[in-house]
Amino acid sequence: MNDTHLKERENILSEANKARWDLGIDLHDTVIESIYEDASRIARKAVKQKGEKAAYALDLRIDKIVTSRWLGFPIMFLLLALVFWLTVTGANYPSGLLASFLIDYMHPILKGVAASIHMPWWLDGVLIDGAYLAMAWVIAVMLPPMAIFFPLFTLLEDLGYLPRVAFNMDSLFRKAGAHGKQALTMSMGFGCNAAGVIAARVIDSPRERLIAIITNNFSLCNGRWPTQILIASIFIGGLVPAQLASVVSAGAVVGIAVLGIFFSLVVSWGLSKSVLRGEASAFSLELPPYRPPRIWQTLYTSLIDRTIIVLWRAVIFAVPAGIVIWLVANVHIGELSLAEYFIQWSNPFAFVFGLNGVILLAYIIAIPANEIVIPTILMLTVLITGANGVGAGTGVIFELNSVGDTANILHAGGWTLLTGLNLMLFSLLHNPCSTTIYTIFKETRSVKWTVVSTFLPIVLGFMVCFFTTQIWYLFFV
Amino acid sequence: MITLLTVGIQSGILFFLGVVVVLIFFWIFWPKKGLIALFSKIKMNNQRVQLEDALKYLFDCEYNKNLCNMNSIAGNLNISDDSASQLIERLLVLGLVTMDDNTISLTDTGRSYSLRVIRVHRIWERYLADETSVAQADWHNEADRIEHFVTQEDTEKLAAQMGNPVFDPHGDPIPSIDGELPEPKGKLLSNLKKGVTGRIIHIEDEPRSIYEQLVVEGLYPGMQVYVTDVDKGKTTFIANGDECTLTPLFASQITVELLSGTVPLAPKYELLSSLAIGEKAEIAGISPNCRGQQRRRLMDLGVVAGSLVSAEMKSASGDPIGYRVMGATIGIRKTQADLIFVHKKNDTNE
Repeated sequence: MNDTHLKERENILSEANKARWDLGIDLHDTVIESIYEDASRIARKAVKQKGEKAAYALDLRIDKIVTSRWLGFPIMFLLLALVFWLTVTGANYPSGLLASFLIDYMHPILKGVAASIHMPWWLDGVLIDGAYLAMAWVIAVMLPPMAIFFPLFTLLEDLGYLPRVAFNMDSLFRKAGAHGKQALTMSMGFGCNAAGVIAARVIDSPRERLIAIITNNFSLCNGRWPTQILIASIFIGGLVPAQLASVVSAGAVVGIAVLGIFFSLVVSWGLSKSVLRGEASAFSLELPPYRPPRIWQTLYTSLIDRTIIVLWRAVIFAVPAGIVIWLVANVHIGELSLAEYFIQWSNPFAFVFGLNGVILLAYIIAIPANEIVIPTILMLTVLITGANGVGAGTGVIFELNSVGDTANILHAGGWTLLTGLNLMLFSLLHNPCSTTIYTIFKETRSVKWTVVSTFLPIVLGFMVCFFTTQIWYLFFV
Repeated sequence: MITLLTVGIQSGILFFLGVVVVLIFFWIFWPKKGLIALFSKIKMNNQRVQLEDALKYLFDCEYNKNLCNMNSIAGNLNISDDSASQLIERLLVLGLVTMDDNTISLTDTGRSYSLRVIRVHRIWERYLADETSVAQADWHNEADRIEHFVTQEDTEKLAAQMGNPVFDPHGDPIPSIDGELPEPKGKLLSNLKKGVTGRIIHIEDEPRSIYEQLVVEGLYPGMQVYVTDVDKGKTTFIANGDECTLTPLFASQITVELLSGTVPLAPKYELLSSLAIGEKAEIAGISPNCRGQQRRRLMDLGVVAGSLVSAEMKSASGDPIGYRVMGATIGIRKTQADLIFVHKKNDTNE
């Protein structure tokens, strides 16, 4: 292209730009309107419609029921409760099976093989007691609930019901500066926070999407329910007569979950009014027609897209964490192991928050999955109290079948009702697991928001534990 | 017993300390009034910022054919006369302005410098209006802050992303890269006579307190106005069907482009939110107060002038409401439905 051509082009462009000043400010709208007008004129000529009205009438009848003022919320709670109940009861058996195979059966076999080839004790410890055991644990406790929860949830989504949940819940979330679809990501978070963060993709408004991602961690995930139930039945159930114990401890766990929802709404509101005030926001909520779910496709997508991806990420993080867990308990400097050093050093600090060094260390090294926090706490407690005959060796995470035995270990570790209560609060309000943190980074592509979503809950958790503890001391001591 | 007592005292002190720490935390991070916000305000008052603001103001005077002297500069930038004279001294040394008998005017270099700053300012205003949720009254101040710190390249990239806008959200033209700007058009609303029809093309965004009021009145560029009465300087007009009276001070902030010939008076629109369940209507348009992503989203879903809409169902909590447009049902919140204009339809033709 020669110079005169270039110049000519420049001139035309600048002429065009000047012309836009004369065309005024709503040129864009006019163009879109005329496109729609043309399209609908062509459609009127070329398309004949019949039958659509009848199908829609049925949809509308269903919608009138599921969005009705009196039935809308009860139907929603019942359906979601059913999904959670199916997940919890359905996962018990396969989880037990996987645990007995991977941990009770395979672990000794691997140890035997290691011994027969005269593997050095430290290599055997790092690889089998550390890496393998952590990985096996994560698979056994994570896989079954996810494999049940995700397909059920996806089924509801495919059916067209979930958008109606968002539609019903929107006014609550609007007041918190969030999007109705956050009700869905929140519910998903009760299954798994990483999946909840991925699910936030359905929110197309940038600000509301970030809010949903940052606050998803306040949904008590599947990995934290067992911790809550165990601690509640030891410390809170123990306060009341035996026949009431299970009801009271269940109530305490539900209370923690509700507190999580409360925090999620309050933090959403705070974020939308402060740091995220300027982020773009646009509301839209399509209510697609109902349709029979495609069972196989649902199974496939929920297993591949959600279960496998999340599990794979968890396993990848579990292996190095397992190694670290084993090493901190087994590497000694002088008399004490690294774990003991850290615990003794952090105890005074932790006591201010009503926690202890064991809990802090467990939450740091068990970052890949909330599921291995309790086994790590038990292992560390045995390590520092020097209890004999419990557990499977230094640095080997374990869990006990009996709640009473677990209680004995924790009491030996100096735990009180206050410690238990604070652990329940801290389990709700702490950093997301590494899988979730990684997922948040993948979804937001922003270090800033990843850091915010990681540290905001920890700061909140320390604050809540601190004030709980101090108020407790003021009134009860 | 003694140990228990000390624990009690200590925890009292600790509790107090905890409260103090939380308060300090809020003091630092509180938006607009916190320590961090304060520091960024102090950073604003440096020399370059003042210089660029003065140039912008000088250009504004030139564009509107007003004269400009030291006092008006001091007043506009909100600085003392001393600082203003130092500032003018610097401008003179840099060859950006000339001074003739107390009247200060821009040199060619000064003009092109100020046009550059104005282009950056208006592009950012456009960006804040369309791509963020920054409140309408804050666009100008926010752009004022940003314009001194961004590079020309970043701004050009931003402009390209937005499809090279030619107007800022207040209706002001954005200067081209070569520093071209069209002649000012239109008349001030305060100068219009009774019976005149026109279209708002510009609402001045300074001073902020007046602009905020005009925003609250629901006035925006693109609105059609019909002056019904001028009495003792007060202008009464009908804008999109609603009557509105402004004092001269307020009316002079609005520039109107006259519409020639017989223009049909824009009828009073009804709002989509006024539709009861089961009612049908034809969409008349979306208010310009609905911008950027939200506007595009609605248009993508078929909310454009001429398409039919019907209210179908209420959510269990009453808001949003499900509307059927172009064969799809979409949930729209009341705040958005308030920004969509419709003509209600009688059910006879269905």
